[in-house]
Amino acid sequence: MPLWLIPFPVLFSLKICKLKEVMGLASVNAANDGMQFCVFDLKRGQQEGQELDKILFFFPADLPFSTQLSVIGLSEGLITFTRIFSPEAACEVIEAERHSHIFYEAEPDIWMVMIVEKSKASEAIWRVDALQKVLKEVHNLFMMFHGSIRSMIEKEPSGGLVRTHLYSFIMDYLNVFLITKKLQLPSFRDCLMERGTVQMLTVGREAAIEVQSLVKVLEYSAGSASCYSLIMFQDLLVSTTLSPEDTVNLFTYAVLRLTPRALSSGVSSWSSLLRGSTASNATATSTSTHSGSVSEQQYHSRDASPGQSNSNHIERPLQHDRWHKGKDGFLGTDIQISEMGSLISATPTIYLQQTGERMYLCAYQYKSLTLILLLPVSSLLNGEQGVSQVKQQIVESASLKMLKVEEKLSKGWGGENAYHVSGYRYLLVDDRHVSRASPAAKVTTLTKESLLAMNKLREEVDLEKNRAKLDNMGKEKDMEICIRAKNNAWVIARTTRGKELYMVLEKANETLLYAADAVEKFSNRYCGGAFSLD
Amino acid sequence: MSTTDDLPNSEPLETRFNSIALQDEEQEQPESSSRLQAQPPEEESLCRSVNGDGILEIRRVDGDGGTRNGCGWRRTNSELEMDGPSSPSSSGYAGERGTSGEDDEIVEISNDVAVMDSQLPWTPGKRHVDEDDASISWRKRKKHFFILSYSGKPIYSRYGDELKLAGFSATLQAIISFVENGGDRVKLVRAGKHQVIFLVKGPIYLVCISCTEEPYESLRGQLELIYGQMILILTKSVNRCFEKNPKFDMTPLLGGTDVVFSSLIHSFSWNPATFLHAYTCLPLAYATRQAAGAILHDVADSGVLFAILMCKHKVVSLVGAQKASLHPDDMLLLSNFITSSDSFRTSESFSPICLPRYNPMAFLYAYVHYFDVDTYLVLLTTSSDAFYHLKDCRIRIEMVLLKSNVLSEVQRSMLDGGMRVEELPGCLLPHSASPRLGQHKQSTDSLERFREPFVGIGGPAGLWHFIYRSIYLDQYVASEFSSPINSPRQQKRLYRAYRKLYASMHDIGNGSHKTQFRRDENYVLLCWVTPDFELYAAFDPLADKALAIKTCNRVCQWIKDVENEIFLLGASPFSW
Repeated sequence: MPLWLIPFPVLFSLKICKLKEVMGLASVNAANDGMQFCVFDLKRGQQEGQELDKILFFFPADLPFSTQLSVIGLSEGLITFTRIFSPEAACEVIEAERHSHIFYEAEPDIWMVMIVEKSKASEAIWRVDALQKVLKEVHNLFMMFHGSIRSMIEKEPSGGLVRTHLYSFIMDYLNVFLITKKLQLPSFRDCLMERGTVQMLTVGREAAIEVQSLVKVLEYSAGSASCYSLIMFQDLLVSTTLSPEDTVNLFTYAVLRLTPRALSSGVSSWSSLLRGSTASNATATSTSTHSGSVSEQQYHSRDASPGQSNSNHIERPLQHDRWHKGKDGFLGTDIQISEMGSLISATPTIYLQQTGERMYLCAYQYKSLTLILLLPVSSLLNGEQGVSQVKQQIVESASLKMLKVEEKLSKGWGGENAYHVSGYRYLLVDDRHVSRASPAAKVTTLTKESLLAMNKLREEVDLEKNRAKLDNMGKEKDMEICIRAKNNAWVIARTTRGKELYMVLEKANETLLYAADAVEKFSNRYCGGAFSLD
Repeated sequence: MSTTDDLPNSEPLETRFNSIALQDEEQEQPESSSRLQAQPPEEESLCRSVNGDGILEIRRVDGDGGTRNGCGWRRTNSELEMDGPSSPSSSGYAGERGTSGEDDEIVEISNDVAVMDSQLPWTPGKRHVDEDDASISWRKRKKHFFILSYSGKPIYSRYGDELKLAGFSATLQAIISFVENGGDRVKLVRAGKHQVIFLVKGPIYLVCISCTEEPYESLRGQLELIYGQMILILTKSVNRCFEKNPKFDMTPLLGGTDVVFSSLIHSFSWNPATFLHAYTCLPLAYATRQAAGAILHDVADSGVLFAILMCKHKVVSLVGAQKASLHPDDMLLLSNFITSSDSFRTSESFSPICLPRYNPMAFLYAYVHYFDVDTYLVLLTTSSDAFYHLKDCRIRIEMVLLKSNVLSEVQRSMLDGGMRVEELPGCLLPHSASPRLGQHKQSTDSLERFREPFVGIGGPAGLWHFIYRSIYLDQYVASEFSSPINSPRQQKRLYRAYRKLYASMHDIGNGSHKTQFRRDENYVLLCWVTPDFELYAAFDPLADKALAIKTCNRVCQWIKDVENEIFLLGASPFSW
C-alpha cells in the first residue's frame, strides 16, 4: 500500500522499529522491568530527525534514546489514531498483555504517559483511574509551584528550562512511591482510597466557631491583601477559604511535606541516601539505579542554552527536608534569593490553579495544627519585607487563638481509628473533592480476594462515571451495585448525586437484604442518609 | 490462478477454490468465476459450486430447475441484496430479526432520526460501502469490525469498502506489530467512549472499534466469534497460505460471505447465545421433542456425526454420534451460517463447513434442508461423498416428523412463543393493584427514556425479562420480550446491560461472583450464579429488592416445573 496513506505518527513508529532492528537494540521492555514515565510535547520536534525534541521528561533517563523515542512514537501514533474516532477524548489507556500504558493530556498537546508492568504473581494489579490520578496529581503540583509546562516552554523555547524543572520535580515526586528501593504505585490494595481528595476532620460546633474566628483573625492580619487560608489538624483538613481545586493541591502538598508527620518523617533512610549533595542543577539525581550519568549528561547538555545560567534558581519543593520549623513557629525553606545584593531566605510562592495568581506560601505550625496563609505577591509591594510584616502580625494577634483551637481539636480528636466503623471497610467520596475512608490499618485486614473484587468493581464504576461525564447529560450517574464475591464478601458501590460510597463487608450474612440493610444503616448514620432509599 | 497455486493439493481447503460445474459447459460464467478455478467435469450427476455466499454447494442436477438455481456459477450479489428492499413477508427471513441496525447509526445523529432508523427492519449484507476512513459518517459508526492479515491486507470490514480501507488496515497492523516488536501484545486501547479491541489469531488480526457500552470481555468474545465464523468457512488451514505467502490475499476465499458476517454481528445485539456460550431450545411438549430425538438418533447411528433439527436459532432436537460433542458456539456459528445464506433455503445443499471448537483444522460436510421457512435439518458428516446417504436420511426423518406432527407442533410453538413474565405463576397481586407499580406510574422520567407509549408493566414485582442458563445442559431460556421492553432498541439496550452484568460476574482471573444486584436509571438487574444455573433478571428500576428476590426464586421454580418442555434433556451435547 502507498506509504502516504499511513498517518505520520504511525510511520514514525515504523521507522523506529526499523531503526531498532538496524541498531540491534533490545526491546523497550527488556531494558527495564519497572515503570516508565514520560512527558512529551506534540508541538515540538515535528521535523524528521528532530523527534527527540518532543521529549520533556523520561524515566528511567538512561534508556537509549531509540527506546525512548519508540515509547513516544507509539503514544503519539495512538493519540492520532484514536482521534479519528474520538476527537474529543484521545487515547487514555493501552492495555497490553504485559503492560498498561496510562495517558494523561496534562495541557493541550502536552502528554504524560506512564507504563507499568503487569505481573500475575506480584501485586501489580491497578486501576487505570488511580494511576491517571497520579499523573494528574504530579501535574497539578507542578503547576502549583511552576505554572504551566507550556508557559515555561514559551519562556525558554529551547526546552532546557522546562526539562530541568520537570526532571527534578517528577523525580522528587516519584520518591513518594519509593519504598525499599522499589516504586510502589497505587495497587488494588489501595482501592479504598481516593487520590486527589482531601480528608476532613469532623469538628464539633464549639470548635467550629473557634476555627471560624481564627480564620477571621488571619484575614485581618494579612491587612488589605486578599489572602486565603487553609487550616489542618494533623493530616486532616479543618478549614479552607480556597477553591476546591486549590484546596486539594495545597492539601496534597501539605500532607506530603508540611504537616508535623511529614516533617518528622522527612529524614528517612532512603531519602537521605538519594538526596543530592548540593542545591544546584547537579542535584537532579536519580531516584533509582536506572538513571545514572547518562541522564545527567543528557539533561545538562540540553540545558546549555544562552541566558540560562546557574543563577536561575531551581526550586525543589517536593524534595525532602526542604522545610524546617523555625523558632517563630513558621516553616521555612532553604530557598534563597538575592535581594538588594544579598542572599536572603525567601518565601516560596505558588500559583493558584483557578486564577493563575501568584501567592506567597506562609505556613505556621503549632503542635498538630498547621496553618497555611497565601498572600498575593502582587499586593505585597515590598516583597519579603511585606511577608515578614504579615508573619509578625499573625504571631501577635493569632497565636493565642491557635493555641486554643489546637487544644479544642486535640480534645475532640478520636485518634488514628477515629473514622473506623466496625464491621465496615469503606470509602466515601463526597462531591469529588472530599473523601473519608476506613483507616489503612483496618483495610489491610481484608483478604486479597475482597480487595481484588473491590478494585474491579471500582474499575467498572469508573467506566460508567467517565461515560456519563462524556455523555454530558448534566446528570450524575446514579447507581447501586452489590456483589457477593466468591469468598462470600459483599462488595458494594453506590453513586448518587456526585457522592460515591464503596464498601466491603466480609463477615456478613449471605442475603442481599442484609447487605442492603448494612448500607442503609451506614448511610443514615454517617452520610446523612445520602445513600438511603426513601 | 495464483491463490489456488498457493495451496497444497491435499488441503481440504482446496475444495474452496475448485468448483466443478458439471452442467452445460457453455453456460456463461459471471465475473466472479475469473477468480475461481473450474475443474473438468466429473462423472457425478452433481454439481458443486462456490456460490455467492461462499458456500460450496452440491446440488442434484435435474432436468430443468437445476439449471436455474443450483448449478454452474452462481454468485449472490450481497450488495444488491442490500440495496434492494428485502421482503420480510415472503420468507419471514428479514422480519424474524425484527431488530434494527442501531450500531449502524451515526453516533451523533439526532434522536428523532435515530428512532426512525431503528424502526427499519434489519437488512442482511454490507451497508455503507461507499464510505472509507476519510468519511465523517464512517468515523462515527458505533461499532466497527475488521479482519486483516498480518501483512496489513484488509479481509473484512463491517462498513466501507475493504479496498479503500487498505491504508487504515495498514495502520491497525502497524499498531499491533509495533507493540509486538516491544515483546508485548496489545489488547485494548481506550479513548473517551471508544474502545479498540485487538485479537491476534496467528496470521489473522481482528479489530473492533466500538463506542457502545459493552465491556472489553464482551467485545473480545465477539471478535472470537467472528474469527470462529471465518474458520467455519475456511478452516484454520488457511494459515498455511500465509506461511507460504505473507502477502496472500484472502478476500476471494471469503467472497460473498459479507452476509454471514453481518448477520453474526447483528446477532450480537439480539442473540444471548453470543455471550452466554449456551444454546436455546424451541419450547415443545416433551413427547414431541422425544419423537424428533428418536428419529435423529436412528440416523446418527448410520455414520452421521451430528443431526440437528432447528427452527431459526432455536434447537428442536440434537443428536451426536458417540463421544462427539458439539460446542454451543459452534452451533451458533453453524446456524448463523445457514440462516444468513439465502441459498440454503431454496434447495437441499451439501456444503463443507468447519466446526472451530470441534476441529478447527478439518472440514466436515453439512447436508442442509429446509422443511419450511424456519425449520431446517442439518446433518454433519466427515465424508465428502455422503450426499445421497444423507439425503436418504433426511427423507426418513421428514417422513417421521410429518407422521408424528412434529413439524406442525414446531410451527405452533413458533407462533405461541416462549415464557412470558406476565404468566409467572404464583403471582397473587393483579398488576394494577400492586402498590409498588402505582409508584412506578408516577416516575415518568424513567419512562420518557424509552420514548414509546407505555403499554404494560411486565410481570409481577416489576419483572421485565429474564434469562436462565443451565450449566449442565449448556442451554439457556430467555423470556419473551414484553412491555415495556418493546422496541428493538430497548431490547438491544437490555442485552447490552446483560452483557455487562455477565462480564462483571465472570472474572476470568478470580472465578465468578455469586450474586449481583445492580440498579441504575434503566433497570434493576439481578444475577445469581450457582453451580447448577445462572439467572439474569431485569426489573423496573424502582423495583423493591425483597420482592425482586422472591420473584427470582419463583422464576427458578417455574423453570424447574417446565424444564421438560423448554430444555432438551438427556442430550447434553457438550459433555456427552
